[in-house]
Amino acid sequence: MNDLHGIIFAYRSDANLGELTRPRNTCSLPFGGRYRLIDFMLSNYVNAGITDVGIIVHQSYQSLLDHVGSGKDWDLSRRHGGLRILPPFGYAERGGEYRGSMDALAGVADYLDNIRQDYVILAWGDMAVNLPVSEVLQQHIDTGADVTMVCTPTLKGAPRFSEYVEVDGDGRVTDLSVHPVAADKTLESLEVYVLSKKLLLDMVDYCAAHDIINFSRGVLQPRLKTLKLMSYVHQGYVARFQSVSGYFERSMDLLDPVVRDDLFNPARPIRTKDRSSPSTYYGPDAKSLHSLVADGCLIEGEVENSIISRHVVIEKGAKVSNCVLMQGTVVKSGASLSYVITDKDVTVNQDRMLMGHLTYPLAIAKGSVV
Amino acid sequence: MKKEVVAMLLAGGQGSRLYALTSQVAKPAVPFGGKYRIIDFPLSNCVNSGIDTVGVLTQYRPLELNSYIGSGQPWDLDRSDGGVHILPPYMREGEKGTWYKGTANAIYQNIGFLDLYDPDYVVILSGDHIYKMDYSDMVAQHKKTEAACTISVLEVTLEEAKRFGIMNANEDGQVYEFEEKPQHPKSTLASMGIYVFTWSKLRQYLIDDEADPNSSNDFGKNIIPNMLAAGEKLMTYRFSGYWKDVGTINSLWDANMDMLAPHSGIDLYDSSWPIYARSPIKPPHITGPNAQISHSLVTGGCEVDGAVENSVLFHSVVVEEGADVQYSILMPGAVVKKGAVVSYAIVAENAVVGEEATVGAPPNEDPDWGIAVVASGVTIGDKAVIKPSAMIREDVKGGEQA
Repeated sequence: MNDLHGIIFAYRSDANLGELTRPRNTCSLPFGGRYRLIDFMLSNYVNAGITDVGIIVHQSYQSLLDHVGSGKDWDLSRRHGGLRILPPFGYAERGGEYRGSMDALAGVADYLDNIRQDYVILAWGDMAVNLPVSEVLQQHIDTGADVTMVCTPTLKGAPRFSEYVEVDGDGRVTDLSVHPVAADKTLESLEVYVLSKKLLLDMVDYCAAHDIINFSRGVLQPRLKTLKLMSYVHQGYVARFQSVSGYFERSMDLLDPVVRDDLFNPARPIRTKDRSSPSTYYGPDAKSLHSLVADGCLIEGEVENSIISRHVVIEKGAKVSNCVLMQGTVVKSGASLSYVITDKDVTVNQDRMLMGHLTYPLAIAKGSVV
Repeated sequence: MKKEVVAMLLAGGQGSRLYALTSQVAKPAVPFGGKYRIIDFPLSNCVNSGIDTVGVLTQYRPLELNSYIGSGQPWDLDRSDGGVHILPPYMREGEKGTWYKGTANAIYQNIGFLDLYDPDYVVILSGDHIYKMDYSDMVAQHKKTEAACTISVLEVTLEEAKRFGIMNANEDGQVYEFEEKPQHPKSTLASMGIYVFTWSKLRQYLIDDEADPNSSNDFGKNIIPNMLAAGEKLMTYRFSGYWKDVGTINSLWDANMDMLAPHSGIDLYDSSWPIYARSPIKPPHITGPNAQISHSLVTGGCEVDGAVENSVLFHSVVVEEGADVQYSILMPGAVVKKGAVVSYAIVAENAVVGEEATVGAPPNEDPDWGIAVVASGVTIGDKAVIKPSAMIREDVKGGEQA
């Protein structure tokens, strides 16, 4: 049996993503034509042989529930263990949102007590990364670390939402800065941690007793000297989503074959909900250049430099360039879209022209008719 | 537990007229329509018709088909009661056990399986047809007319009728005569090889047929004529809609081309009657800066930077820059390298067409012209030329002709 248990934090809705996260929490944000962000961490866990996963949710998680279902598309619908959605069942009397990750863990403390594995991995479900989780665990065991945290040398986050670490020659973390004004170190923390179940439970108890709500500030920073806190440096691609323009840029990253080969490494495939879509049909006058196109689309117009999700319809004479069209978007004949992000089930009527800019892409809310 | 209806899907045929395409897999496992295998159509029809217990009778090259069907999860046929069951021939105590000798014998050998569910009606299906059909409607008619057997029929032309089993029926649809491939057809109602039987009746006919040493143990040749001769009530069930036998290279190619008309023939995008498939985990397909794709189906994991026209691309196909693919079927993982031309061809799974090679050609005056086929895993060397109608089972070296 695999000795690692997976926890995914899926309770935050990033306000900076505007229209895109109004109907959902950031983990269920569509990305890459057929995925939701949570697919990446969930697949990373499954690809490392993890069989038990708890997803901590708090609000607007209906679309997340709808997406992961019983977990069967990740082979997590199991007789023992498998996927558990963890709403704030022990938290009702306190009300409000989780104030931090330790607060969230305290909210599901009963679940944590029953974990069968010796080790636990904690991560946010709102990143696109193909992370070799089994290597992280192996390094954690080999180095005898108390906590191993995953870092990236390619800084991606906006500093005031990010954490940075300084390490010594052995990779041991010597300093950690949380949400600084400017990136002050060369390694960015992905806030992915591996630690033993025992240490985790001790920390959760201690924090609950002392009303410590934040893992980095409340636990790691004060214990830098006493805990053996090791870094695991992930060299591969990482996408974080902290603004609409950032979302657009990270989407366009997928048109780079180097990024695709890393993120969609066939040895560690990213799984998602199977929608039994047929192949995409291109009509006689269709044009599709330099684009990523999911299954189940009907494309009779022109597409260039774009990310097209499942079941998108682009009618004859319509032009789509530099766009991200989410599932079920319909672009009617003669319409023209440039630097536009359409959320699910948006319809753009005949001959409409919509134009955003690279630095300010136009985001159209779910279900809108333009 | 008792089930009112159980479906039995005959999937043991070799499909020898698909030649190289079925040298490794049974015919029902042959890829079809970009995302599917042939067996997805009858299996999805079963589920959409509310039939939750399906026996799949396998015999020839069953491994890939078995692993494809697996637990039946993609079709929601992983049930705690019923579900999909693979039924190969098996050994029995005291006697030797045999291969399935014919379609009727295959069901005969599985009487024990059917008795487990004690069905009132058994639906017999074959694994080589592409169509959407509500079997529950056919069963409803069967019940209403109190027939012993109901046979699904399709109107064909008088010329086509010579190639089918033809049902001669009264105005009310009752069959009075059955003719197998008649030289002078009296009617144009062709049997589609889809039957609903009252199980208690069929069970006895199967036992009697097995006792006849001269029988070929076949539904069309023996069971149906025997039931007619005995005066049983046989009814036709009229089907209209898309139906295609994909038992030959030409019909398989044709039927794939039919899928390119998304709203005629069979509508794969109609969510009220979905066709389910077990799909590998693949990212969306990518089109390169030089891609030219028209009137084609393209599936997840493909990379297209060449020209693709009137073609069906299954998952993970690569068409490199400057390659030209016309009126062709590229099965999963096929690769067409730079400058190669593939025309009126079927390139099977993981086959590679080398740079500037030519496979097939558009129809011409040559009476021997036909679809070129490259078998799975075969490599066609750079600048090699594969003629129309060719059936390539082994690697062809660069510059050679075959």
